[in-house]
Amino acid sequence: MTTATEATYDFDAMLQTIKDKQWSLADIDWDAPGAELVTDEVRAKMKPFMADLVWIEHVGARGFASLAKKAPTPTIKRIYEYFHAEEQKHANAELALMKRWGMLDEDGNPPEPNINVKLAIKVLDDFGDTLPLTGLATLIPLLECALDGALVKFLLDEVHDPVCHEVFRHINSDEARHITVDFQVLELIGAGPLHKLLIESLALLSPQVVIGLIVVFTPLINKMRDNIVAMGLPEQKLYNAVKRFATIGSRGAHTSRIPAYHVLKAQAAMIIDRSSPYHRLLADPMVKLTSFVPAKVLGRPQAWVDELTHEPVAS
Amino acid sequence: MTATTTRYDGELLRGAQWRGRAFTGLSVAVIAPGREAAVIVPEVVRTARAVKVFQEEPDWLLPLPLPLPRALAVPAARLSLRLRVRDPWTRRRLTPDARFNRHRPRVDGRYYAALQEPHCTLISWPVYALVPGGLRSAEGIEHRVDCIILGTTAAHREDLLA
Repeated sequence: MTTATEATYDFDAMLQTIKDKQWSLADIDWDAPGAELVTDEVRAKMKPFMADLVWIEHVGARGFASLAKKAPTPTIKRIYEYFHAEEQKHANAELALMKRWGMLDEDGNPPEPNINVKLAIKVLDDFGDTLPLTGLATLIPLLECALDGALVKFLLDEVHDPVCHEVFRHINSDEARHITVDFQVLELIGAGPLHKLLIESLALLSPQVVIGLIVVFTPLINKMRDNIVAMGLPEQKLYNAVKRFATIGSRGAHTSRIPAYHVLKAQAAMIIDRSSPYHRLLADPMVKLTSFVPAKVLGRPQAWVDELTHEPVAS
Repeated sequence: MTATTTRYDGELLRGAQWRGRAFTGLSVAVIAPGREAAVIVPEVVRTARAVKVFQEEPDWLLPLPLPLPRALAVPAARLSLRLRVRDPWTRRRLTPDARFNRHRPRVDGRYYAALQEPHCTLISWPVYALVPGGLRSAEGIEHRVDCIILGTTAAHREDLLA
């Protein structure tokens, strides 16, 4: 709660912790007993959920790759490079869980992403690296709070396989560091000169960013929300997770100077209020509209989408 | 993390020890920044069965020794990269960070072609440990190889050689 958190936060120490805490898919016994605890009923219910989860981690990884290009210092850049790899690791580990539970096809191919994920991939390929730091640095912690706080908790409540719990102990410990750094970087940005904040925020008003937010981000989140609520996730959990974004953000002394933070906080508040006109007038129609977009018009995504693997050891 | 305390038991070459070696039939990992990998990789790719290039930091490369001032050398290197690497994701990983990378462009005409050989893979994930049989990188995968070449920079990394 001090006013000088940005000056005192030690990113070098965090980088060292990140290096010390690395783990590998090869550390985990993927054939250990427990897979049978995933019944056919749970398997059928969880398969689309896991597929979404893998792709969201994978897209999040790409987000960190863009952040690394914008990082304010070499240390933070290095941290983002590790986070990029760690999100990829999470996607790989979740894919390995899908393999363990018999959710992949015979060749072990990753599941096909849905159209909203494909749109997100397209936008990240085209604009990710040109987005101003404040935009991306604010969006990513929101996604991580939602992912970490709601989806993963839901998964652990539903699945009793001990290997799954072991994997997510690692993932949650990584995510806790991601969220810490995300908000410390917001503090650092928020403490910067006002003119820089304003210029970057004006740049965020460019058409591709606003359209990206409406066409890609809005339906992506709403579709995910609808999918998991349909599966039986108590909506309250999702709300708590999104609230956490505002709670942690409000702890910082400087984060509230970032306009993008307020925009996303307001959007998050609308997302979790099902009675808000936001859903009726914008988000739900966008989910419907995007479902008509033929994947072909998006063209071939860049090669990073092929980097997923469920094999812990590569030779 | 327990495995990181044990050593890599394959062939480990440091600094310039890779020179003059044949790698026939071997799978090789090269850990080096772009400026060093540009020297090592084209030679290794000629004989090795498979090469994985762990290049965490890219550098600009010029195909010919052009007498250009820095202000022109970087755009020329960028143009050369654009023309010689078609895949945008590979190109992105070969593009240095304009803010933090202050190395002058190196002269090298073979690295990009070597990387695009079918038996060569560019990997930009951070390597965090050498383990028996190979190395581990931060995307969670253990890469098994017969031989690891540490460039001059990586040969000084205490975390890898502890």
